[in-house]
Amino acid sequence: MSLIFAAKSIITMNPSQARATHMAVRDGHILAVGDASHIAQWRQAWGDMPIDESLSDKILMPGFVEGHTHMMEGLFWNYDYVGYYDREGPDGNVIAGLKSIDDVVARLSQINQQRDDKTQPLIAWGFDPIFFDGRRMNTADLDKVSTDCPVIVLHASLHILNTNSLVIEQAGVTPGDNNEAVRRDENGHPSGEFLGQLGMYMAMRTTGLDLLGAAGSAQTLINFANVARQTGVTTATDLANPVPVEAVQTMRDTVSQDSFPMRLVVAFQGGGADPQAGIARIQELQSQQTDKLRFSLVKFVADGSIQGFSARLKFPGYFNGADNGLWYIEPDRLKALISAYHAAGIQIHIHTNGDECTDVALDAIEAALRENPWPDHRHTLQHCQMANRAQFKRMAKLGVGVNLFSNHLYYWGDAHINITMGPERAARLDDAGGALAENVPVAIHSDAPVTALAPLFTAWCAVNRVSSKGVKLGGETEKLTVEQALYAITMGAAYSLHMDHEIGSLEVGKRADVAILEADPLQVEAAHLKDIAVYGTILGGKVHVNKRGAK
Amino acid sequence: MSNKVVPITIIAGFLGTGKTSLLNHLLAHAEGRRLTALVNDFGALNIDSELIAAQNGNQISLANGCVCCSIGDDLTLALAQVMNQTPRPDHILIEASGVADPARIAGFAQVDRELRLDGIITLVDALAHQRHANDPHLADNYQRQIAAGHFLLLSKTDLASAAQTHSVSQQLAAQKPTTPIAIIEHGVFDAKVLLGLNETGLLPAQAEIKHDLRQWSAHMTAPVPRLDLLNSLSTLAPHLLRAKAVLHDAEGAYVLHYAGGQSSVSPFDASPSGHFVLIGKPDMPDDASLEQLLTPQAPLPAHRQTEARQ
Ligand SMILES: [Zn+2]
Repeated sequence: MSLIFAAKSIITMNPSQARATHMAVRDGHILAVGDASHIAQWRQAWGDMPIDESLSDKILMPGFVEGHTHMMEGLFWNYDYVGYYDREGPDGNVIAGLKSIDDVVARLSQINQQRDDKTQPLIAWGFDPIFFDGRRMNTADLDKVSTDCPVIVLHASLHILNTNSLVIEQAGVTPGDNNEAVRRDENGHPSGEFLGQLGMYMAMRTTGLDLLGAAGSAQTLINFANVARQTGVTTATDLANPVPVEAVQTMRDTVSQDSFPMRLVVAFQGGGADPQAGIARIQELQSQQTDKLRFSLVKFVADGSIQGFSARLKFPGYFNGADNGLWYIEPDRLKALISAYHAAGIQIHIHTNGDECTDVALDAIEAALRENPWPDHRHTLQHCQMANRAQFKRMAKLGVGVNLFSNHLYYWGDAHINITMGPERAARLDDAGGALAENVPVAIHSDAPVTALAPLFTAWCAVNRVSSKGVKLGGETEKLTVEQALYAITMGAAYSLHMDHEIGSLEVGKRADVAILEADPLQVEAAHLKDIAVYGTILGGKVHVNKRGAK
Repeated sequence: MSNKVVPITIIAGFLGTGKTSLLNHLLAHAEGRRLTALVNDFGALNIDSELIAAQNGNQISLANGCVCCSIGDDLTLALAQVMNQTPRPDHILIEASGVADPARIAGFAQVDRELRLDGIITLVDALAHQRHANDPHLADNYQRQIAAGHFLLLSKTDLASAAQTHSVSQQLAAQKPTTPIAIIEHGVFDAKVLLGLNETGLLPAQAEIKHDLRQWSAHMTAPVPRLDLLNSLSTLAPHLLRAKAVLHDAEGAYVLHYAGGQSSVSPFDASPSGHFVLIGKPDMPDDASLEQLLTPQAPLPAHRQTEARQ
């Protein structure tokens, strides 16, 4: 089955043929790329092919590749969305954004009123206080929703949640003097905001529910793929997953369906005590790969997060004087793990947020390379937000790539300037420009559901480097150009997944995976990159139109 | 839902300091308690297969009623699941990872009235102490674990020289003058000290106190103001390891748990037995002094017993 797509313009990401207007597709792969003048020749060589004109006013790009997301993005659609922005659900319906805390309370009250059983827990997600100018949600707000059932509002970052006073009463909160996980009001009482694991624990205890329990279900996968597809993504990652035996069949059955609109790369969650068992598991999983489902890499999480003060920082540490963060894996054990997986020829992605952690990861990779040279390993540091030029130089020499957390610039940029690292280090936070200048392969990511999954938004962050309060972080040296940013969300991410020979550009022989846009990202102003509407995607030659695009 | 308050003990310490040996020992000497241990790695526990009653997925049930659960990647979930189960265990042990901050884990007890932090046990490798204390990447973590510990147990002393052990113990004592420091050999340490005394506050009749520990117990029918008692106990640190009292004062009956410098007092909703038990190191003040300290006003305890054994 062959077909020619006609577009207004095609941005190919193929340097030898940057632009085109027509693309022929056969059996899920790209047969030819060119313009109207080539069609006769193509038909002569490859046989007669119909032309699909339905996209002739659209801009085509290689389908976006999201190199660091989590399948859990699909989980939250089981709960009620109360975020700031309009958000398209996996069913394609748009849920209106809520512009004040009162709006959130009103929405939740309405949902509660319409329920039959008003004693069941009410759980919402996507709340983001950065838009509400310093005002924090508290128990008084959520008590207006209900005092008869637990009300739990998960913040978009997932690091924080709010509860009503019933939850605090039921749990019996008695925070010690320096328990920073329990926010307090001016009278010293718990305000209803809880950080990190303690909040999640309380929510699970008072509701009796495992809020994240459906993480591996078919519905979660489908939700995840649909949410990603609506932003132009054709390949995304689950970074990472312990991949229990029973999960594999669900993944295979779900992903293989024609209606499943995405390729999924699942990273095996390493870090267990026995690397040989993990290696055997990955090898076993790799024997079950398909064109849409890959188990190509292992991931380690070596430290925590900067805004949670759990990342490992070098001198002089946190700007506000907080204690240095936590290792999630001991440096010696990380070294042993990297050595073992590297020796087995398995690509490694390592979560390193703080610069001390980045050093330790690079030491470990360097040691592994001395033991077993491997020129094209493409081990990648994930987040790597505080890396400096010396570290980028070292990464380039070692063949290590980086996948930077550019969305952080927007979401936590202000906190980084004022609280976590101060202006100098914040200016080179997620320094994609610096990494490229030092010849490090660069991708950029959202870490969804931690921040919004939308590669054009992530590209906008890397190009504009502006916080949610409108403050610039760094400048020309650290930013990406729009071209570089578009490369990062296509070829850059594909390279980091060892898939750049298959996806990431629109050129002959590659998979016909396409993002269909309403405007040309190289023509709009850089400040409007994030506002470009996505009409749909093409995956392996099959068109998926967004509900919004269809009208 | 049962309202039983479950004591929780956190076992901290670097990799290789003997957390697993200690866990094995406690599981084998549960003395009728149904312990649930949340562990990082089943394999390392190496449980004798004859002791395993059932195994499914991330849970192993032992013949003596104890259970081991693998933490996997999510301590929050593992702990919430144990607490949401009926019946609840008598005591929860958490094996902290080698780089965890046990004080953060202890925070769970502050947001769950049905959990009571019984204590944090930090294992210190006598042989590797200097190396750990000077590790460029781990020194701060090490200090945090020591700072958070209510009991500091020195392991690997059989491999270290006597001088080395002495020096480590001196350094720790200087750093934490009120925290009990003791030597643990091959993971063996008295479960009554680490996990507390049984529900009535009495030791089983055949109970033996080992490891050069001393026990003092009394039966007190007169009211004992709880704040006075807490003050008195605090003067006994670091010699006092463990205490339990079921007494009353003007506010009513109460139960007091003391473990390595940290105490908790909660109302007791039955008639108080008047039992009061202390377990301390050999250097704990002598019986007469204890009696004077803890029962400052007449009348003298109606009944008392003391013992000191090897
Ligand atoms: Zn992540």
